Amino acid sequence: MVATDLLTQSVINGLLLGGIYALAALGLSLVFGIMDIVNLAHGHMLMVGAYIAILVFAATGITPLVGMLLAMVLMFGLGVLLQKVLLKHVVDEGIEQPIIVLFGLALILQNLGRVLLGGDSRTADIGLPGSGIDIGIAYMSFPRTVTFVVSVLLIVLTWAFLQYTKTGQAIRATAQNRTAAKYMGINTDQIYVITLGIGTALAGAAGALLSMLFPIDPYVGWSYLLKTFAVVVLGGVGSVLGTLVGGLVLGVSENLGALYLGGGYRNIVSLLIFLGVLLVKPEGLFGSSGGGE
Amino acid sequence: MALLEKAPGETLATDRRVLGAAALVVLWLLTVPFTTTDSLTGLVLTGLVFVMLGVSWNLLAGYAGQISLGHAAFFGMGAFVSAWLTTPSAAGFPASIQLPIIPALVVGALASALIALVIGPIIFRLTGHYFAIGTLALAAVIELIMLDRRDLTGGATGYYVQGDLSLSETVSHGDVMFLLTLVATIVTVVVTYLIVRGPTGLGMKAIHDDEDAASSLGVNPLKYKMYAFVVSSFFAGLAGALYGHYTLYLNPQSTLAVTWTIDSLVIVILGGMGTFAGPILGSGLFLLLDNGLSAVVGGFSSAVEGILIILFIIFLPKGLYGILKEYLVEETGETDTAHD
Repeated sequence: MVATDLLTQSVINGLLLGGIYALAALGLSLVFGIMDIVNLAHGHMLMVGAYIAILVFAATGITPLVGMLLAMVLMFGLGVLLQKVLLKHVVDEGIEQPIIVLFGLALILQNLGRVLLGGDSRTADIGLPGSGIDIGIAYMSFPRTVTFVVSVLLIVLTWAFLQYTKTGQAIRATAQNRTAAKYMGINTDQIYVITLGIGTALAGAAGALLSMLFPIDPYVGWSYLLKTFAVVVLGGVGSVLGTLVGGLVLGVSENLGALYLGGGYRNIVSLLIFLGVLLVKPEGLFGSSGGGE
Repeated sequence: MALLEKAPGETLATDRRVLGAAALVVLWLLTVPFTTTDSLTGLVLTGLVFVMLGVSWNLLAGYAGQISLGHAAFFGMGAFVSAWLTTPSAAGFPASIQLPIIPALVVGALASALIALVIGPIIFRLTGHYFAIGTLALAAVIELIMLDRRDLTGGATGYYVQGDLSLSETVSHGDVMFLLTLVATIVTVVVTYLIVRGPTGLGMKAIHDDEDAASSLGVNPLKYKMYAFVVSSFFAGLAGALYGHYTLYLNPQSTLAVTWTIDSLVIVILGGMGTFAGPILGSGLFLLLDNGLSAVVGGFSSAVEGILIILFIIFLPKGLYGILKEYLVEETGETDTAHD
């Protein structure tokens, strides 16, 4: 039997990690909900964001939290470019073409990462003074706590943007019914560009935060794609709140899986939860079936 | 022969010149192990494995419309199951289950088909994007479990396969494996051809075009998806078993890696998805790219492959087959229109 304090510690660590998972999945969920595209390159975009933060940190010693902002700006640009140059040809044309275009992009990003940065894993450090908090039942380490708070902050900001700005309302309208949105005078092409930009920027932000906790190598893309997709499935496509809950559930269950079954089973646990939910309740535990209907 | 009658829109595969060319290619392939170096034989063998992977993935994705991203799992499981049978001691199995290579290859392929048969009814509850990502996750689970079971797979160290089919000084194990792979490739191509030209192929195309409409006309989607999935997995498993017994070394991290799925997909996209000759042409082009690109672009070869599949799927969705067909049909327009 595992000791109780070890158990609470793992649950707390899982919750803190789950916040970043939620942020990582939010972009995937939005793009899926609004454009009806599964971004197979999402994990690789996250890897690129992580490398931006790592390189900035390695070159200047500036905290990856600043690198994260740079990653978000650059990745927003990448998303906009991707939609304007490639995806506009294939979006709304069935699923085969977008899947293959994004699969190709994942290949390109992974290859560029390997050649330009080497196959070895790298990591950044938070680069800020500060110490963890002892909350009595468990210890919250400083980097984990900071990354969790930043993640939740970004999730709330994204939610507020969708809820209260005119562009956000136009995005939600497009997700509900793109034809009707078009008739109401919404430039849906422009909405797609902005959506993919936001989705990619959020992936970059999550990557930058993860670089402070875990080593990153050019091959992490597939594994993060599956993790973030698991969160999307748990939370329901296009639901911001659901994504947050899904992220926390995944973070905790991964840590408990690693605690009870051994570290090798960390990823297997999350994949099995993912497959299980996908099969039992494909619309997600918390959301409705999302946009694009 | 009724089976060889032309179907509308697919004249290339039955064009007499194409059949003649195919016969010549097979004859040339038969001479490969005896006329070239071992490394070149290995290269062409890899090309044949690519044909098997491409043709089998195309049956599932191009014809039945199910974009599976888990093809590597079936390739790898075919390789491992056949290796357990030819080399049981390395996995701690009793020597009594040991089989000669050829039956072991078939059992390996059957094991892959069996996995598909068991998983199919569950995974086909998913459609579209969910199916694609679900199969990717499934393959990842299988890879992780196999990597963790060091006792069965050798883990990260890998699994050494024993096998020697050499007939004499001049006909090595690799040469015999080449001929076996050639036979298996021909079987794969012919069987797939018969399926897609027959009523089953028509059912698959119907559910690909519009599953609801096909369903309302009495076509059972699950039946045709399962048919495509099981056959496709069988041939992927056979390809894996052959490749494993050619290289005589397996490793869960490479034999079950997503690379095999990527290769299958690239081959089919380059050649022309949903066309019969596509994956065969695509394999040739991919083999050239895979070996030639690194000389030209250095380490960037898979990025170039990525760019190529993106450009092909957007601008040339019928691939190399589409280009060739346009050129050939223009020339032989008469025979083409006769069947309209």
